[in-house]
Amino acid sequence: MTGPRIAFAGVKKAFGKRQVLNGIDLAVAPGESLVIIGGSGTGKSVTLKCLLGLIPIDAGSIRVDGQEVAGLKGAALDQHRTRFGMLFQGGALFDSLPVWRNISFALGGSVAERRAAAIDNLARVGLGPEVADLKPSELSGGMQKRVALARAIAARPPIILFDEPTAGLDPITAAVINNLIRTLVTDLAITAITITHDMTTVHSVADRVAMIHAGTIIWHGARAELEGCDNPYVRQFITGSAEGPIKVPGVR
Amino acid sequence: MIRLLAAIGGPVVAALASIGRLTRFAVTALLRVVQPPWYPAQVAQQMLTIGWLSLPVVGLTAVFTGSALAQQIFIGGSRFNAASTVPAVTVIGVVRELGPVLGGLMVAGRVASAMAAELGTMRVTEQIDALVTLRTDPYRWLVGPRILAAILVMPALVLVSNALGVMGGWLLATQRLGFNSAQYLATTARYLEVDDVVSSLVKAAVFGFFIALMGCYHGYHSGGGAAGVGKATTNAVVSSFILILLSNLIITVIVFGS
Repeated sequence: MTGPRIAFAGVKKAFGKRQVLNGIDLAVAPGESLVIIGGSGTGKSVTLKCLLGLIPIDAGSIRVDGQEVAGLKGAALDQHRTRFGMLFQGGALFDSLPVWRNISFALGGSVAERRAAAIDNLARVGLGPEVADLKPSELSGGMQKRVALARAIAARPPIILFDEPTAGLDPITAAVINNLIRTLVTDLAITAITITHDMTTVHSVADRVAMIHAGTIIWHGARAELEGCDNPYVRQFITGSAEGPIKVPGVR
Repeated sequence: MIRLLAAIGGPVVAALASIGRLTRFAVTALLRVVQPPWYPAQVAQQMLTIGWLSLPVVGLTAVFTGSALAQQIFIGGSRFNAASTVPAVTVIGVVRELGPVLGGLMVAGRVASAMAAELGTMRVTEQIDALVTLRTDPYRWLVGPRILAAILVMPALVLVSNALGVMGGWLLATQRLGFNSAQYLATTARYLEVDDVVSSLVKAAVFGFFIALMGCYHGYHSGGGAAGVGKATTNAVVSSFILILLSNLIITVIVFGS
């Protein structure tokens, strides 16, 4: 039996007096697609950024393939990041570069090779080569997400992180993105962590689901167990009810 | 008493912390400038943006200022029969002070704000985080090329600014004040010294460094959405103006004070 690909143990992170992560415990098996759900400001994005080493943790441990992430610096941290692709919430495409250079940004080789690789990855996300020379600002929101997805998979990393992949998209485009993520995760045998509020994404993408609340994982289980779950926080979240234990800040 | 000390100490500690952060940022950026890998295409792009695209505004500023300076020297000099000093004082004034300082301020207004806005937008839209996840050092890719380009291109820009400033004075003096063209140019050349030009170029390089440093620093540490980017832009312009004027005074005192 192999160990988890990613393991969080007692991870804590505070910004000033605000404790954002308050002891995250979580494990993701190789090839598994985990979706983390939770309200705004509960620490979902911070969890991903800690995993990437973009934000240092205050306490606890994050291990990837058995290697401790906390304390990594310089070349070791760069080496750690080669395992990851990341789809940022807004795409985070570089405005000044054409699409093909965005996708091939971290790839080596000649210009022709990198361009060919970019066009190949565009095809994987359902876009044609005519998009390659456009600037990100010339694309719709859905196309930008697809290009960002192509960039995330371009180096064929074993792990991909998806930060709110369908945020701001219409339902049809969101469904296309969800299907793309599920297909890529399956075809490329990727370990994936997706954070979202969108229950459609949960049903389309997840093998397992974890819910984060107040910086702690309060429930986790297989996707099939989600509907039958009796945790009041999870019930409130998946039904989208205003009534329940989760209080929206500033709302009485 | 404790309250008073806290009221004084808080801002002092905050100011010292800011100076420390800025110094660390500057040292990190300068180390990236001298260590490979380099990104020559990024440097060339920035040289074009900072230098070539600033030429119209810097050139116009120089021509108008040189002309106005010549007019004022003529008026002032006429009061004690020294109107003939127009070419000499104009060239010294333009090359030593007005060319680099006004050129620096104009470039700071145009470039430091643009850099802060661009990097600030990249920060709030997570493009800088994306760079890091793609194993690219933002200091090397974003900050280093801007600082290097500004240091390289500002002396050239100020050289052109100086020439246009002197030309502005010459135009006004010959067309309006009755100076002989050949005599004006000969006097200008006679009074212009190598030290004047060298100090002007040194100032320009220092101003270029501060302009890019302030633009990048405030943009890189921008936060809080559109309002944060706006604040970073304002801070970049104001701080680069102050550093240009302060460093100009220091260089002038060091070079010409004795």
